[in-house]
Amino acid sequence: MGWISLLFLVFTLQAAELPRFLTKHSPDTLRYISMDGRYAYVQKKAGVLGLVSSFRSTDFLTDSNSNYFAVKGSRFKNRIAIESVPNAYDEMSLIKNHKIFVVDYGNTTTREIGAGRGVKLHLRDEWITFFDMYEKKIMIVNLVTQKKFEIKLSKKSNPFFVPEVEMVSSRAVIYSDINEQGYSAMVTFDLETLKSNIIYKSSQTATRLELCQHEGYLGVGEFPYDGVDRGSKISYIPLNDVTNLAGMLNIYTSIEQDIGNMVCLPQWIYFVKTMNQDKQLNHKVTEVVKLELKTQNIEAKTQMKAVSQIIEMDGRVLIPFRGEFFVLEGQANLGEDTLKSAPTKEELQIDI
Amino acid sequence: MKTLPRFSLNQFYKFILGTVILCPSLFAQTAPLATPAKTEYPGIIQTFEKLIKIDTDKVTKRTDALIKGGRVFGGSSTVTNLELEPDFLNSIILHSDPGYLRLASSDKCRFYETILTDLLRSSEGKIKNVLMTYVEKETRQSAVISKKDFLAKVVNEECPETQKNIAAFQVKTIEKTLKEINFDIPSGIDQCRNIHVDWVNNPKTPFICQIYEYVKEARAGGGDPKDLQQRRAVARILEDKQTLIQKDYIENLCTHLDDEDLFCEEFLNVSFWTKIAGGYEDKVYAEDVCKGLLNVNELSNPQYLACLGRMKKEKDACLYPTGKNSGLRPQPDCDQISTALNYSSLKASYKDCPGNSDQMIATNMGRIISHFGTGEVLPPQGPCSALSAGATFVFNKNFDNDVNWKLEACYEDRLNQREVCAKTFFGKYANQPESYSTVVADILKKTRGAAQSEVCEFVDSLDYNPLLLKYKSGCYIIYERDQCFISQCKHRILYNDRAIDFIKIKGRATIPYFPLNVREERFSQSYLLTHDFKKQGRQLNTLSAMTTFFKKSNNGIIHGIGCAEELLPTFFKMNTINQCTAMPFVVNGVIKDKDKVVFVLRSAGDSLQAPRLVSWSTIYSAVKSYQRIHPLKLWTMYGLD
Repeated sequence: MGWISLLFLVFTLQAAELPRFLTKHSPDTLRYISMDGRYAYVQKKAGVLGLVSSFRSTDFLTDSNSNYFAVKGSRFKNRIAIESVPNAYDEMSLIKNHKIFVVDYGNTTTREIGAGRGVKLHLRDEWITFFDMYEKKIMIVNLVTQKKFEIKLSKKSNPFFVPEVEMVSSRAVIYSDINEQGYSAMVTFDLETLKSNIIYKSSQTATRLELCQHEGYLGVGEFPYDGVDRGSKISYIPLNDVTNLAGMLNIYTSIEQDIGNMVCLPQWIYFVKTMNQDKQLNHKVTEVVKLELKTQNIEAKTQMKAVSQIIEMDGRVLIPFRGEFFVLEGQANLGEDTLKSAPTKEELQIDI
Repeated sequence: MKTLPRFSLNQFYKFILGTVILCPSLFAQTAPLATPAKTEYPGIIQTFEKLIKIDTDKVTKRTDALIKGGRVFGGSSTVTNLELEPDFLNSIILHSDPGYLRLASSDKCRFYETILTDLLRSSEGKIKNVLMTYVEKETRQSAVISKKDFLAKVVNEECPETQKNIAAFQVKTIEKTLKEINFDIPSGIDQCRNIHVDWVNNPKTPFICQIYEYVKEARAGGGDPKDLQQRRAVARILEDKQTLIQKDYIENLCTHLDDEDLFCEEFLNVSFWTKIAGGYEDKVYAEDVCKGLLNVNELSNPQYLACLGRMKKEKDACLYPTGKNSGLRPQPDCDQISTALNYSSLKASYKDCPGNSDQMIATNMGRIISHFGTGEVLPPQGPCSALSAGATFVFNKNFDNDVNWKLEACYEDRLNQREVCAKTFFGKYANQPESYSTVVADILKKTRGAAQSEVCEFVDSLDYNPLLLKYKSGCYIIYERDQCFISQCKHRILYNDRAIDFIKIKGRATIPYFPLNVREERFSQSYLLTHDFKKQGRQLNTLSAMTTFFKKSNNGIIHGIGCAEELLPTFFKMNTINQCTAMPFVVNGVIKDKDKVVFVLRSAGDSLQAPRLVSWSTIYSAVKSYQRIHPLKLWTMYGLD
């Protein structure tokens, strides 16, 4: 049915020039900034991560001199997850584990959770998941009860594989996996029975599954890897009280080798689409497109010709392009000189 | 419309040229023969045939007249201004292959050599007599000279190197001569064009093509039937003295001397898998794919050929190769790998297991060092990533930078009550004393009284069988292949069937690729490459700089670091702002097609045998993003040659 629905897609090209992302902080040091600019996590120097709020600046995580930090929030803004990358500049590895920390949003007391990659907060930031690259285990930790779970993955055809993980309830973990032949699958793991169940298996090799979640739905994208001639498709699973994980609704199908890298927002999904391609030379023109969930309309949002990634950060959607960031959604200029009113007690809880 | 090269003669061009030269005979110093009174011009082909007939008549009559008049050139010392007769020259232009005409036009001696080697033809076919003009006693005269005398009296006088080449291309010497000739296989269109020009100007080319034409004629049964059997026997000998690759190469060269595009097409537009089947390229490029496709551990030649045939038809066959040499999967499909390998210049006929590397700086450095190194790449013992680790360690040691290698094997010296550490890398490479197997053996000699001849052997845990007698004595390092990397390696040591657990690994194989601070700049790998290894390093940050680099450099490569999220966005997703997984890479080829330019790139995570085609925009974005997070904000992409 997917290809039929494609026939009814309205494909519009209304891309305008996007504004650059401007903040009061050096863009190179920025690791996270809230939509209003009040909370900014910046790497002040090698091995030092600081929180800059409206009136204060605090160095709250200090690690080895050569460490690099990646900071990840969620739409719930209860906690922040931090990956501290050891020896970032003189040990380049796709399989080394990073130190995983968590900190309450706006707070400075860090807690080390473990070691791995691909950290993600779930379910009102009460859960955190990451992947242990050496042991090939998905680690699942409840940040409130400290209860830990792990899912051991089988041997991979790609030694650098990192699964995508989403939690749709305190019981159900959904993750992507691949087998040795290169078939990808979406698997659900029940934290109560500790049993897993395959809910989708790709019919072709060399594609990867992407998962993203927003209120009310789980987006599932299947995109080909670089250099492989496969099509792309995007589906979604409505999440409600009677969620049927096997009931995926296809909303986009293409024979093009889209890059993907989806960002899920309440009413639509952004992803990187291949507009045209010379398959022999592997030369693509790629743009960010907006896929409306209800109408399945696609609208091109950029005219950059070579987009590769989309980042969502506290509702702001950014496009990295040739060393700069362009804003697709959200306020672009956070560099105003006017001071905002002091945050309320609920907003800021720096415990110095 | 392209400007016609001097001797690039299609039939029409020959017709025009023939008309211009033959009709007025402006350049003939002796009285020209009369043109027939009646000449019809019904069409180009017919006219051309007539012109050829006129030319044949003219030259035959001229030769007969000179012989009858006793005008045979004797090689007098009073003769000056020796030249070929214009009518004779016209005849050569009309009857010779355009490719050989181009070869002849490159130099006077090349012209003489192409006559001597029977590559140029006149109206009589193979040239037996040469018509010449010269000045003697202040008058220009014409004479005929036999080819033999032409060699002795003219060529030997004016072209001393020709005599040496004639000697080098005798049946007895030809094999040795061919071995000494470099039959370069190009890896890019600019390089290929340069190679073609070199061949056209090479004094050996006429003699190489003489072999090709001789064998071709004998095989086709051409020439004098009286000595055909004898010529066929010689042709067989000549064929046996050439390798399959040399034969194909020579055929391509001699049939496309006037057209570099066709010459290059044979190399660049032919499937790489066909080249392997023809013996042009190493089988290592297909080995892991074929073993997986045919589900065998060893491949026979017919199996290889069958597999290569499948790889040409089934492009998905290359996505998931088998074997120990793991890396980023899936690889590009067979069509893309084939295209990329056709334009790739990196030495890549060995395996370095990037899937077992937790230090991609060493992987990339190993590739660069091996590329510029002379001779074969030495296979390591133990984990296959030892090749990268060993090569990088030796490279640093050679330039007194091993002190910055932080990976060490340590033990407690109880006698002196101190910890003793030795620098090491996992595996055994080129008999280096820092190989972990040697370091462990040395420690056992000092602490366990092991014999001076004691050596330790790396054994894959999957191959280890404790029941075998051989493991009951001696030193063995049993390593887990899937968990053995460059900085850390899950292993255990057995010495005389006892576990050795007092040797501790400390530190990691950390090395800066580009300078991280000014003070320690000289310890970085890029500094060593340019200042100590003496490879000229050129910063490249524009598309034209990169394409020009490959145009000018035949053996050069570009190395750098970019963010994996932008270099390979389908493998690495960016989740946070300024997220950057540093990824070293080597670019070693360029493909231009109209307005599109793509580069042949191997990230340090990719298998050496499976390069990718990546656009300039992608490479630029990746390097630019890495520049943002680099402590010194350095641009990290340089050309090395």
